[in-house]
Amino acid sequence: MIETEELKKTYKQGSLKVKAVDNVNLKISDGEFTAIVGPSGSGKTTLLNCIGGLDNPTSGKVIIDGELISSYSSNQMIKFRLNNIGFVFQSYNLIPVLTAKENIEMVMLMQGYNKQDMEKRSSDLLNEVGMGDMSKRRPAELSGGQQQRVAVARSLASKPKFILADEPTANLDSKSTAKLLDIMSRLNKQENITFVFSTHDQRVIDRARRVVTLEDGKIIKDIKK
Amino acid sequence: MRLITLIKIGWRNIWRNKKRSLVVILSIILGLYGGLIISSLMITLNSQRMNTAINTYLADIQIHNKEFSKEYSLSDTISNIHYLEEKLKNDNRVKSYSKRTVINGMLSNSTGSYGVNVLGIDPEFEIKVTNVYTKIVEGDYFESKRENTMIVGKKLADKLNLRLRSKVVITFQDVNGDITSLLFRIEGVFKSGNSMFDDYNVFVKNNSIFSNLPDLNGYHEIPILTINDDITESLKLDLQKINNTLDVKFWGDIAVELAYANKMMSSFLYIFMLIVLSGLSFGIINTMLMAILERKKEIGMLMSIGMSKIYIFLMICLETVFLSLVAIPFSVLITYITIDYFSVSGIDLSIVGSGLENFGVGTILYLKLPYEYYFNLSLLVILISFISSMFPAIRALKINPAEATKSI
Repeated sequence: MIETEELKKTYKQGSLKVKAVDNVNLKISDGEFTAIVGPSGSGKTTLLNCIGGLDNPTSGKVIIDGELISSYSSNQMIKFRLNNIGFVFQSYNLIPVLTAKENIEMVMLMQGYNKQDMEKRSSDLLNEVGMGDMSKRRPAELSGGQQQRVAVARSLASKPKFILADEPTANLDSKSTAKLLDIMSRLNKQENITFVFSTHDQRVIDRARRVVTLEDGKIIKDIKK
Repeated sequence: MRLITLIKIGWRNIWRNKKRSLVVILSIILGLYGGLIISSLMITLNSQRMNTAINTYLADIQIHNKEFSKEYSLSDTISNIHYLEEKLKNDNRVKSYSKRTVINGMLSNSTGSYGVNVLGIDPEFEIKVTNVYTKIVEGDYFESKRENTMIVGKKLADKLNLRLRSKVVITFQDVNGDITSLLFRIEGVFKSGNSMFDDYNVFVKNNSIFSNLPDLNGYHEIPILTINDDITESLKLDLQKINNTLDVKFWGDIAVELAYANKMMSSFLYIFMLIVLSGLSFGIINTMLMAILERKKEIGMLMSIGMSKIYIFLMICLETVFLSLVAIPFSVLITYITIDYFSVSGIDLSIVGSGLENFGVGTILYLKLPYEYYFNLSLLVILISFISSMFPAIRALKINPAEATKSI
C-alpha cells in the first residue's frame, strides 16, 4: 500500500514559494488502477515524484508497505526504487544504444539476475506487451507506441510493487494509447499490479478505476468507480 | 550489475555521435603521436651524443694513475702496465683496449696558437676502441710512414687554417718540468660529430712521443671497451682491486654531464608528456560534458529506475577510457612505422648541423624509442583520460532524475 501523510512540496521561484503539493493525504491499495488528474501545474507529477522517491518532500511522509521511504538516504532510495517501483515516462526514455530486449534486461542486470532467468523473463515480458518479434530492434527502429510498450515491459522487469506512469499516453496516437491501456489494464487485473498514472488524457481517465483530482497541489476530488 | 553491460553501453555510447568521438580520438592520436615522436627525438639526441662521446674518446671504462687524474702531470704514468695488460687480455668481459699518452699543450702554426689535448695512441689498438679513423674527412688516419704526424679536428683545422702536410708545433712542459716543443705534420682531419671535441683534441702516434721524450716511461690512459653494458660495473670493481694506485672510472664518472643528462631524460620526458596530455584532457572534458548534457534525460532515467551512482560514474569513465583505447593502437602503430623508417634512413638535420655538432650530435638522427615508452606513455594517456572523465562523471551524478526525465 502507498500512503502519503500531510505531504508537502514547496519550490522556490525567485523570492516566491510555490506549493506544488500541499498537505496531501492519500492511500492507494494494492491492485488499484489510479489516475491522478488535474490541470497543468496542479502538482500531479510532483506528487508522483515524491511517491517514487525521485523528489524529497518538504514535509510529510511517504509510506510504502509500512516503510517510511521519505526518510531514506539517496543510496537507500536508489536501491528501493530498483526493487519496488517501476517507472513509465512520457517520452519513453529507453536507452537508444540498446535493443528492446537489452533495455528490459538492464534492470534485471542491476538486480543481479542470472543470464537464463533474465533472458526468459525479458522474452516473456516482451511477449506480454506484444513486442516479442521486435526484441532485437533499437528504440529508433520502433514507433512511439511500440517504445512505450517496451518501457512498460521494462517497468515490470524488476517485479515492482507498483508502477508509476507519468503522462504515459501524452505522445501517443489513439490506437497506440488504446493498445497500451489494454496491456496495462490486463496486467493490473491478471497480475494484480498497482498502476498510478499522472495524466490529463481523458482516455486514461475513462479506463481508471479511481480518479484523484488535484488543484493547486491539493486533492479536491477522489472518485472510486 | 555486470561490468560487461556497462562496457557494452559505454562502447555503444561513444559511437552515438561518431563525428564528435572521432574528433576526440584524432586529437588523442595526434597528441600521443607527437609525444612519442618528441620522446624519440630527445632520446635519440641524447643517445647519439652519448655514443659520439664514448666512440670517439671515452670508451666504457678508463684507467689512469690516481695522481694523473689530479694534476695531469706527464710523470704520473700507469705503473706495472704489463701486468694490467695481461689481466685485460685474459678477461673475457673486455672487448678491446688501447694505451694512450696524454699531454696538455699549446699547438702553434703561422696563423696562431691554441690550447690542445694531445692524445698519443697506437693506431692499431686505438681503432679497436674508438672510431675516429672512420671520421676522417681529409687526408689519412696514420697511414704515413713518417713518425711525427698528427690528426686534428675539423674545427681546429679551420680555426688555425691547418692544411694537410702543413707543420705545427706542440709546446708543453715535459716530465722534468722543462718547456719542450715538438714538430708534427698534419696527416688527417677528422670530424667526430662533436665540434667541442674536434676543437680541443689532436691525435699523434705514441712512438713519436716516446722517441722525442726519452724520460717519459709509460702511458697515462687505458680506455677499455666492454662486451656489454651490464658487466661494466663489475669489471670496473675488479680492475680497481688490481692496484690501489689505479683510478678506474666508468665513462659516466668522466663525462658527468652526459651521464646526468641520460639519467634525467626519462623523468623529463614523462613530465613533458604530462603537460602535453593535460592540454588534451581539456578537450576530453569538454566533449564528455557535451555528451552528458545531451544525455541528461537518459541518465535521469537510469537513476530513476535504480542504477546506482557508482555505476553511472563508471559508465561515464568507461566511455572516456574507450576513446583513448581506440586512439592508442593507431597512435602507437603510426609512431612505430615512423620511427622504424627514420631509424634506417635517418632524419637529416644538416640545416641546423653546426648547432647539433656543438651539442655533440651528428647531423643525421637515427630515431629510436625503447618499447617501454610506448607502453608507459599509452598508460599515461589512459590515466589522463580516466582523470579527465571524473569531472563529467561527477557532473552526471548531480543530475536530478525528476527534472532530467521531464527535460526535452
